[in-house]
Amino acid sequence: MQWLLAKEWRELWSARAWWLMLIVTGPLVGLSFINAVQMYAELSGLNGTAVGVGEAFSPLVGVWAPTFSAYELVAAFLFPFVVIRLVGGDRQNGALKLEMQQRISPFARVGAKALVLLTAWLVAMLPLVIAGLLWKSYGGSTYAPELATIALGHVLNASLTIALGAAAAAVAEHPSTAAIITLSVTVGTWVISFIAALQGGWWELVAAFTPPALVAQFQHGLIRLDVTLSTLALTTFGLILAALWLRIGVPAQRRLVESIATLGTVALMIGACAMARASWDASENRQNSFSEPDEAALRSITTPLHIEAHFAMEDSRRAELERMALVKLRRIMPRLTVTYASQTSVGLYEQNTEHYGEIIYTLGSKRDTSRIVTAEGVLETIYGLAGVTPGVERDDEIFRGHPLAVPPRHAGVMFFGVWPAAIAGAWFVRYRRQA
Amino acid sequence: MVLLWQNMTTSPLLTVSGISKAFGRLAAIEDVSFRVEPGEILGLIGPNGAGKTTLFECLAGVLPPTRGQLYTAADQPLDGDARSSLIFYVPDGIRPYPDQPLGWVLDFAVGFFGGHADNLRRVIDSLQLAPLLKQRIGVLSKGQAKRALLAFGLLTPQPILMIDEPFEGLDLKQTREAAATLREHANGGRTLFLSIHQIADAARVCDRLVLLSGGRIRGEGTAAELVSRSGATDLEGAFLALT
Repeated sequence: MQWLLAKEWRELWSARAWWLMLIVTGPLVGLSFINAVQMYAELSGLNGTAVGVGEAFSPLVGVWAPTFSAYELVAAFLFPFVVIRLVGGDRQNGALKLEMQQRISPFARVGAKALVLLTAWLVAMLPLVIAGLLWKSYGGSTYAPELATIALGHVLNASLTIALGAAAAAVAEHPSTAAIITLSVTVGTWVISFIAALQGGWWELVAAFTPPALVAQFQHGLIRLDVTLSTLALTTFGLILAALWLRIGVPAQRRLVESIATLGTVALMIGACAMARASWDASENRQNSFSEPDEAALRSITTPLHIEAHFAMEDSRRAELERMALVKLRRIMPRLTVTYASQTSVGLYEQNTEHYGEIIYTLGSKRDTSRIVTAEGVLETIYGLAGVTPGVERDDEIFRGHPLAVPPRHAGVMFFGVWPAAIAGAWFVRYRRQA
Repeated sequence: MVLLWQNMTTSPLLTVSGISKAFGRLAAIEDVSFRVEPGEILGLIGPNGAGKTTLFECLAGVLPPTRGQLYTAADQPLDGDARSSLIFYVPDGIRPYPDQPLGWVLDFAVGFFGGHADNLRRVIDSLQLAPLLKQRIGVLSKGQAKRALLAFGLLTPQPILMIDEPFEGLDLKQTREAAATLREHANGGRTLFLSIHQIADAARVCDRLVLLSGGRIRGEGTAAELVSRSGATDLEGAFLALT
């Protein structure tokens, strides 16, 4: 196993795709970081613009989410080629025929590749360390739990990419076919998200487990157990699929049957994972949670609550209701059920329809109707139905924000100059040593 | 050589029984059976398209056979781990680890497959690979790459080494040196099974021959036995007569 890991590691560092990805990652992260910091600074009052707006600003939302988002691009468009190179390369050059004769489980072989690729991803995240150091040098505030959460989200996203790329490279005869499969799946998840935004229903449920939704949740500092476990199950499925199909000495029909059986098992596992309700809000500004007194009051309500919201999929009020209230409410009230009612996806021609725009709350035998979509409005209606009065939030518990009116100094030099030059230099030195 | 063969016929190291492989409706090999004796150099000869590589890949487990079975000396079916313990196969026409230096690749062959590190220097010297150790596999010439693959195979520990076209891409001098190296390893107790399309090379190197044509076994035995059976005057004549 030690030799296998060493070999995979050497193959990674020999891959031009890997070096190119490293070089490109720096400027991508830099572009996102510079834009985010500049906007953060302007909203915080830099150059006299929009002073005071940024007072409730969270670095997670203002700087880190957009900076990390560069890795969504890397995971979707660059990293798959590194994965395919490492997994499919053995098949192309004949090394697979040699190595499969050793008594090492194909799962161990794929595991070694996955481990090396995950380490590669962590190395590719090094530009974030530069961003962090620059941010600290500007006097910016950091909150470790939310940074760890967003980093975890992108590592999970990368693990999905590794699994997808590995499976595609193992199933396809040629790397170009594997690349097409991988990109098709990526585009497919975007299509699912798009249809979910229009149609809702089951599409929305499925879309919650796609990589863009996964990353979005972590970028808000939210760790959902169901999404995390489902991602791990999907990752495991992809790696198992890769291991099954790399056994080129086994009849294809048998591999196909085993793949279908694995798919069935993983589908059941994901179904079970989806029932997990636990979640953790790691954001400093508690953007996924109500205040602690509100949460204590909501916990005291044991009667099942049902909310029927009459909003079309594309009605902005629906999105606001979800973001401002329901996401938080689901976390604290596991017995909450929500249904949406509308006859169209846009809702434009339903405005005069009876009940459109109403939110109907049913708590046991009690019922109330409201049109307010803010968190305060939703809570007020629920408290009214339950006859509960929340405590008052302590002043020191309220998030006051970390405005920072400092431009992104030296960031351009670091990301567009130092990083690419350092990587290109390291590549050149390695190439010379090998030559 | 004949005496050696006669002494060994009682306990074959490997028995190949009824191996067939079809690609769709095309039968690449059909009902192939023969025995591999310990310590011999067995040659698989046949015209292009005879199914030599397909047969090798089926025996090595790289390709799933449609039918048939391998048996060990103890008459036990040979599958999975047991096959990996007994057989190592070096395919033709591959260029593995193209970005790695040859020296490291040979270390890997010893380390990964559990070969004997003591053999490393001997194999490198016998195949004259010392000047190439720092070269990447990808930049080696065809003949150099073939010698590198031969070295890779010779460093593995399995009792049976199957090599597909061991002399492909080698010039006459290199062929003779490689043949001498293979003979040296066979004398050391290793069994070699070589697929060779050049009849002269096969006659020079191999103790016994299996003649494959159209996916079927057309003859098995020493060169003299094949010649005698075919009524020809030499092995080339026997080859033409039997295929």
